[in-house]
Amino acid sequence: MTDAILALLHMCIFPGGLFALAVGFFFKGLDRRMVARLQRRVGPPLHQPYIDIAKLLTKETLIPKTAHRTAFLLAPVIAFAGMAVCAAFIPVPGVFQGLTDMGDLLVIFYLLPIPAIALMLGGSSSGSPFGAVGFSREMLMMLAYEIPLLAVLLAVAMMAGKGMGTGAEFSLAKILTFQSATGQFGFNPVMIPALIAYLIFLPGTMGVIPFDIPEAETEILEGPLLEYGGPLLALYHIGSALKTFVVLGLGVVLFFPGTLTDIWIVNLVWFLLKCLLLMALSLTLVKSATGRFRIDQAFWFYIKIPTVLSLISLALVWWL
Amino acid sequence: MSDFLKKLSVRSPWLFRINAGSCNGCDVELATTAFIPRYDVERLGCRYCGSPRHADIVLITGPLTARVKDKVLRVWEEIPNPKITVAVGICAVTCGVFRDGYSIKGPIDRYLPVDVNVPGCPPRPQAIMEAVLIAKKLWMQKLGVEE
Repeated sequence: MTDAILALLHMCIFPGGLFALAVGFFFKGLDRRMVARLQRRVGPPLHQPYIDIAKLLTKETLIPKTAHRTAFLLAPVIAFAGMAVCAAFIPVPGVFQGLTDMGDLLVIFYLLPIPAIALMLGGSSSGSPFGAVGFSREMLMMLAYEIPLLAVLLAVAMMAGKGMGTGAEFSLAKILTFQSATGQFGFNPVMIPALIAYLIFLPGTMGVIPFDIPEAETEILEGPLLEYGGPLLALYHIGSALKTFVVLGLGVVLFFPGTLTDIWIVNLVWFLLKCLLLMALSLTLVKSATGRFRIDQAFWFYIKIPTVLSLISLALVWWL
Repeated sequence: MSDFLKKLSVRSPWLFRINAGSCNGCDVELATTAFIPRYDVERLGCRYCGSPRHADIVLITGPLTARVKDKVLRVWEEIPNPKITVAVGICAVTCGVFRDGYSIKGPIDRYLPVDVNVPGCPPRPQAIMEAVLIAKKLWMQKLGVEE
């Protein structure tokens, strides 16, 4: 019973829920600010994402007549709930182990696509043709970027498992202890292709330029999000902020989980700094320097480059 | 609590553009001039959104031609309350040289409650930014909170 309450607390306060929300929105504000500075603009204040949420809560909610009411209302809640739970499985090295007895890497792999699936559900139930187009684009993007993710996770699991002689090791806690004993995977030449593949996977799963094709506001009026407004849209934004924390945290845990000292607050700041660096490299720089791909270009890009890179890593781990 | 949210909310005005038969001059001023480093309106928390459902401040350009009249009115209806309507350019304000033309149904305030007028052909970027600031004040009045 106490275990269940503790797990719930982890999902609601730290590292899921409130903490992930604060960090995710802070990162999003920093991202907007950095993009503005890279384009020599002043940019919005750092707390702008929080203000946006406050604004959305005061707006009225409109539900289209043609929409499937239940699915339309449930989709944002599913996106939010999936990510709030997923964030609790992300360990913060030196601070928090992650909910190791309740799930591992495979659970995270199953939980990660939930926001995209909820977006597809919302878009297809909104009754808008733009939502339907966004749905089909999101589907295609998901098919493309989930393959490299699976190969990257497998490569990491095989690497840790071979070192410990257990086949493939999917427990994040064991992967962490293995890395602290033998060196971080991000500095291992065998794992570098997988790291690059993960960096390319990030903008795809977060749906930012150049891979914001399902939510292209100039082509299909934000696609699945078109009919959402007010508090429902706020829930989608909250889910997206949680997802920012989850994917960046997962990247740090898989490739650079090193800690500095035994003091937990230092470790926490160090972890967040590494997340920030990952975001600046894979999201902010790419976003401010590129334009949007066409859907077929993005699909083949994901099939050709990150998939091949991650499979190279997997093969190297397998045979070496 | 809700007063606090309302006070915060005017610092995040999302803009939506409707082209009601404009020559694109005002649209160029809106889309590019407002977002180049010199006049950056994103520092006020503004963002152009693609969907009318996300909009707070709607910027209408053009003299409202007969072809687009129904569509403009329909899109305007889709925007959730509270919303502020801004007419950008002399076409949207009075129809300018096109007034009483055979294909012109404007000006826009015959059909919609326009809150702010920005005259000019095209208006200066500073004027557009001032209109956004005035729109924020009006939005506060509509929400019923003091600054």
